[in-house]
Amino acid sequence: MKRLLAVTIALVMAASLFASGSSEAADDGTFKIALIIENTIDDKGWCQSMHDGITEAIAMMPDKKIEYSYSEKMLAVDAGSIARQYVAEGYDLIIAHGSQYKNFVLEMAEEFPDTSFAFGTSSEIGPDNVFTYMPESEETGYLNGLIAGTLTKANIVGLVSPVDGGDSARYDRGFVMGVQAVNPEAKILLAYTGSHSDYVKSAEIAHSQLGNGADIMTGSSQQAIGALRATAESPTAMWLGQDLAQLTTTEGQQKCIAACAYNYAAVVVGLVEKIESGVKGGEVIPMNFANGGFIYDYNPALVDQWVTPEIKEMISSTIEEFKADPDGTLADWAEVDYSKL
Amino acid sequence: MVDIVVNMLSMCIPFSVALLLASIGEMFNQRAGVFNLGCEGVMAMGAFIGMLIPFAAGGGGPVSQWYNFLGFAAAAAVGALLGLIFGVITVTFRAPQGIAGIGLQMFGVGAAGTLFRHFVGGTQSIPGIPDIDIPLLSKIPLIGDIFFSHNVMAYLAYLFIPVAMYILFKTPWGLRVRAAGTNPRAADSMGINVNRTRYEALMLGSALAGLAGAYLSIAQAKLFSDSLISGRGFIAVALVYFGHWHPLKVMGGALLFTFAQTFQTVVQSMGISFPYELAVMLPYVLVIVVLSFTSKDQRMAPTALGQPFNREIRT
Repeated sequence: MKRLLAVTIALVMAASLFASGSSEAADDGTFKIALIIENTIDDKGWCQSMHDGITEAIAMMPDKKIEYSYSEKMLAVDAGSIARQYVAEGYDLIIAHGSQYKNFVLEMAEEFPDTSFAFGTSSEIGPDNVFTYMPESEETGYLNGLIAGTLTKANIVGLVSPVDGGDSARYDRGFVMGVQAVNPEAKILLAYTGSHSDYVKSAEIAHSQLGNGADIMTGSSQQAIGALRATAESPTAMWLGQDLAQLTTTEGQQKCIAACAYNYAAVVVGLVEKIESGVKGGEVIPMNFANGGFIYDYNPALVDQWVTPEIKEMISSTIEEFKADPDGTLADWAEVDYSKL
Repeated sequence: MVDIVVNMLSMCIPFSVALLLASIGEMFNQRAGVFNLGCEGVMAMGAFIGMLIPFAAGGGGPVSQWYNFLGFAAAAAVGALLGLIFGVITVTFRAPQGIAGIGLQMFGVGAAGTLFRHFVGGTQSIPGIPDIDIPLLSKIPLIGDIFFSHNVMAYLAYLFIPVAMYILFKTPWGLRVRAAGTNPRAADSMGINVNRTRYEALMLGSALAGLAGAYLSIAQAKLFSDSLISGRGFIAVALVYFGHWHPLKVMGGALLFTFAQTFQTVVQSMGISFPYELAVMLPYVLVIVVLSFTSKDQRMAPTALGQPFNREIRT
């Protein structure tokens, strides 16, 4: 009897704990955001950009009371348990940052219709409580390609990519289009590591491409840091970054001429506003220059030496074209033929 | 075309060193009869400790080369310590070696990542050790780039192969190691302390695995991240089977695997129409194929591999 009583009390306490979490959020108006990522918040790439975006978004909404938590190094198979914990604690928005989380997000969205979920990259329209986001990275790749095609003296540029999928595939194809737009004769060396986080293999590929004459390099995903580090050992080769965080590294300051970044702050602000207005999902949020989803900037230490006024003008006017017609400028990015590189 | 081939071959030696050191270390473990699947974890700890010392000395900026070599020494010491701990678990307590190895792998990778976050922060690079052009020899056309323009650790690692052969086949200690891994009961009856020999082999093997990790963080990638090792510890274990527990053949396996790796990157970069997914798999498929065709040649295999030794129990 005592054992039964103890179990009952424990269950009631547990239930009241979860209940108080939910009601507390509702009572004091706190908006709770949770982030689930496969790498770390300081990986100078994919995961850091979302973490930085959320913290920036919170700073952009000082009148709102927002609580933010994150879980790092979450494999897709483990993410469900931590997401359930967040749901139990009354989180309003759970962002699973990666397309590998799609399955558990869709399963949990059905089970917990009052919680909003978001995952990306994906251009699929999800259920009513699932947002998806898709960086249209062909735009940022195109800008870097324009610079690479203009600056290469060897007429050989290197591109180190993780896999041919998601936003990396879009960035790569945009980069190829950019190079070919200004320098159709340039040879583009493209190779994949097969992993988003194999820094060593990324560096090996970069060494291979540099050894084969590439003098302008780029790479996508967080593994690109390895390729950037390898590029830093070349006395002549330079780098174009896919993340502004690369500019903060020692080698980035020496080698990265310019870099773009995802501006997830705008996305997160939009998500918070939509959820508060009653829209819990069912939308795809594209990220492009037109909606402020991208930022592009030069390395202050290298801009005078490498970025001529003509290049600056070319980049500025291209960004304006993107803003004026976000759907049209690079609409055929998927048609890029790699067999003609 | 010649330039492309030379470039490809010139990468084989420096890029194979981590696999070479780790697999030679694992070979010593297995020759003594202990199967250490935790090589990956030891490499991760070695990579972290190795990188931490020059980073702490220079904050990511240039430092005296002595700090890099101190990093290698510390990585070897930490590797040896992990080998000692693994020995306590598998030799003294006779825990199943496979399970204990997986535990060591998870512990090493997790601990390295956690300590890295605490002491360093996010993905961080260091200047590392530079390549050295050996006077005159490095100027020889073709051969110079392939053999004589690498970092000092690459040369030392390859010079260690004949040393490893000498230790294993020409010294009393090497004989004790082979006896402990082949017939520990007979070795014991001849007065060899099997457990002590296994401890020593584990410490040497794990020190080499620690060095292998430090090579990745100090000499090759020149940075550390949680995922730096990315399965290379498991490849090293496979290369021991590939090389039939013989230092020269293990070296051949490390070189062949690295050649396949660099070959596939060149195939991709040259725009040769070939699915990249298959290209990335090529080195691993090659290992499986070679293992399949040579699996019957197991004469060198330590017959007591994976078997705990208990001198009180007659089997």
